Amino acid sequence: MADISKDSPLRAVQVEALVVMKIIKHSSQTFPTTATGSLVGMDVNGTLQITNSFPFPTVDIPATDGHQDSASNLAAAAPRAKANAAYQNEMIKFLREVNVDANNVGWYTSTSMGNFVNVNTIENQYHYQKEMNERTVALVHDVSRSSQGSLSLRAYRLSPSFMAAFKENKFTTESLQKSGLRYQDILVELPLTIHNSHLLTSLLHQLPSDAPKEELPFPPNLAALQQDPNTPQPPLYPNFDSLDLSIDPFLEKTCDLLLESIENHHTELNNHQYYQRSLGREQAKITAWQQKRKAENAARAAAKQAPLPEDEWQRLFKLPQEPSRLEVLLNSRQVEQYARQVDGFTASVSAKMFAVKSNLLPGE
Amino acid sequence: MADTDSFLHLARPLGPAPVGAQPSTAPLSVVIQPQAIFSILDHSLRRNPDQERVIGTLLGTRTEDGTEVEIRNCYAVPHTETAEQVEVDMDYQKQMLALHLRANPREVLVGWYATSAELNTFSALIQNFYGQQGDGTWPHPAVHLTVSTVPGQDIEARTYISAPIGVTAERAADSCLFIPVPYEIKYGEAEKSGLELISGAKDREDRTQGILTDIESLERAIQHVLDMLERVSNYVNNVLDEEAEPSSALGQFLMNALSLAPKVDPADIERDFNNHIQDVLVVSYLANTIRTQIDLSNRLATAALTLGTGDALTGTGGGSGEGGQKSGQGERRGKGRGGQNRSNES
Repeated sequence: MADISKDSPLRAVQVEALVVMKIIKHSSQTFPTTATGSLVGMDVNGTLQITNSFPFPTVDIPATDGHQDSASNLAAAAPRAKANAAYQNEMIKFLREVNVDANNVGWYTSTSMGNFVNVNTIENQYHYQKEMNERTVALVHDVSRSSQGSLSLRAYRLSPSFMAAFKENKFTTESLQKSGLRYQDILVELPLTIHNSHLLTSLLHQLPSDAPKEELPFPPNLAALQQDPNTPQPPLYPNFDSLDLSIDPFLEKTCDLLLESIENHHTELNNHQYYQRSLGREQAKITAWQQKRKAENAARAAAKQAPLPEDEWQRLFKLPQEPSRLEVLLNSRQVEQYARQVDGFTASVSAKMFAVKSNLLPGE
Repeated sequence: MADTDSFLHLARPLGPAPVGAQPSTAPLSVVIQPQAIFSILDHSLRRNPDQERVIGTLLGTRTEDGTEVEIRNCYAVPHTETAEQVEVDMDYQKQMLALHLRANPREVLVGWYATSAELNTFSALIQNFYGQQGDGTWPHPAVHLTVSTVPGQDIEARTYISAPIGVTAERAADSCLFIPVPYEIKYGEAEKSGLELISGAKDREDRTQGILTDIESLERAIQHVLDMLERVSNYVNNVLDEEAEPSSALGQFLMNALSLAPKVDPADIERDFNNHIQDVLVVSYLANTIRTQIDLSNRLATAALTLGTGDALTGTGGGSGEGGQKSGQGERRGKGRGGQNRSNES
């Protein structure tokens, strides 16, 4: 990931615990459909404090299997829909009355297995970054990775160079060569911290989570021990779910997603090859026409006639439009995301596996 | 949170009330999701300095028979309170409710909250407003949740439903009997990872916590388990040295726990281990190979090849073609290994 450039107005994102819980709730409720919502908060000396959030209204679509995709698409497009802009303004107006920071600072979306780098995400963030102001972020919550242990919540912005390119909607080979835009530079990740209010800290300290410190009387028998009210609940922190050893579902899903990405990449490359071929054909035709015209003109010059114009080919032939390379860029960024994810997974899972092995086979 | 109280409900004659407008007073149990509590605490922090308490609306779901209410969401409602009168912004409440129902059509109005443990005449008035016919929760009782937020004291939550009380008809609107009902704070599987991070910040001075990577949270979990094992083995050693008091129940419990360790043939473990570690490494390797291939393909496609001046375009065409072939190979390989993986799993 590219480093945050110095002129970027935001250096970090600080998310209130309330927002974390709201996003998790909304995302897991609508899973596997994408959930999107709006974030409010304020910018304090380059740190964006996100203090509240609310979900965008859902569109009712019969939940049949065939329609699931379209529901997901609608939800994914929600942040830039006109109706939702009105909803958002109204909601923020009401929130202002109860002293909530009434600035729109971005939007959130849920995803599964890091599968979020697509045109929808880009367009949403572009919509926000273009219209509101520079200080907006996209929070991405990965539902399926969070269920495996540690929370996956990330903050992204579009890089200035990508914004400029997207504004002109020019993603041809030539413009990419000129601007030097690479797929690594599309999204800029901002460091994210979670912040608790004083009241919340006090609440958390009240929740019994650790083993009792004082001496407890011995239980008379096994049944009494198992029903002992003093037995502490498994603590919230650390989360023992991360000790769980489940490998195959993750690998299977990753393979599927990777294959999908490769297929996309392939389609895009085919498009480009098609473009190159037709471009070549057209250029050959033009050259042939030009030579013909030259020969004609030479003949006419010999016959003392006025030469025919030589640039008429620009009207007669139309060069094919180069397909946009945006899709390729996004796809590459997506693959990079998967690869990173797999690396992280490999690191923790191999550690766990060696631990299990040495536990079950002591002395080897 | 609050001490676990026990509740006893006694059926009793109801007071005089308009006929047919009788909300049910059957006991119910309340489940509160943590995000509702978080939201209430946030609201309490954002109250106007002259306000003693703030109120808001609770949203959630109700089982069909109405015996269980789950509070899932809530929003703040502005109100002003003086010694003589209370004013709740009804219009705000209605419009906000409509906005929330658009986003969460499955949630319904279940009651209201206040950020002080006090119950007074105004509480009764508001309670009757929320429980009324039409806009209120009628025929189900409105749930009233109080969360005390007095600085320096424990945060205590209480839940109530109400019943009309036998007073004169003109005082019926601002009087009611609050009946305490049991509640539970429950969080779902999905929220666990979030709560982990949030509670990770509780002992820190700045009350903040960065996002942990997988490996960091694994390290912490293992550290914690090691500490617990240490504690148990200390106790067992002390018993063996006759320094601590033995307990047969604890012994039995430990025995049961130890017997949960599976007995597997070493060869089986070796085989499973090797299969899985290979799977993991192959997928990781493949993912990175594909990434490199695609990167290469991108670079070739956009590289400025300087084979003379006019050849730039055709040169890049060749480049992207080459990249396509390469990633084509990657795909074939990916498919082959992917298939192999799945056959290993089955």
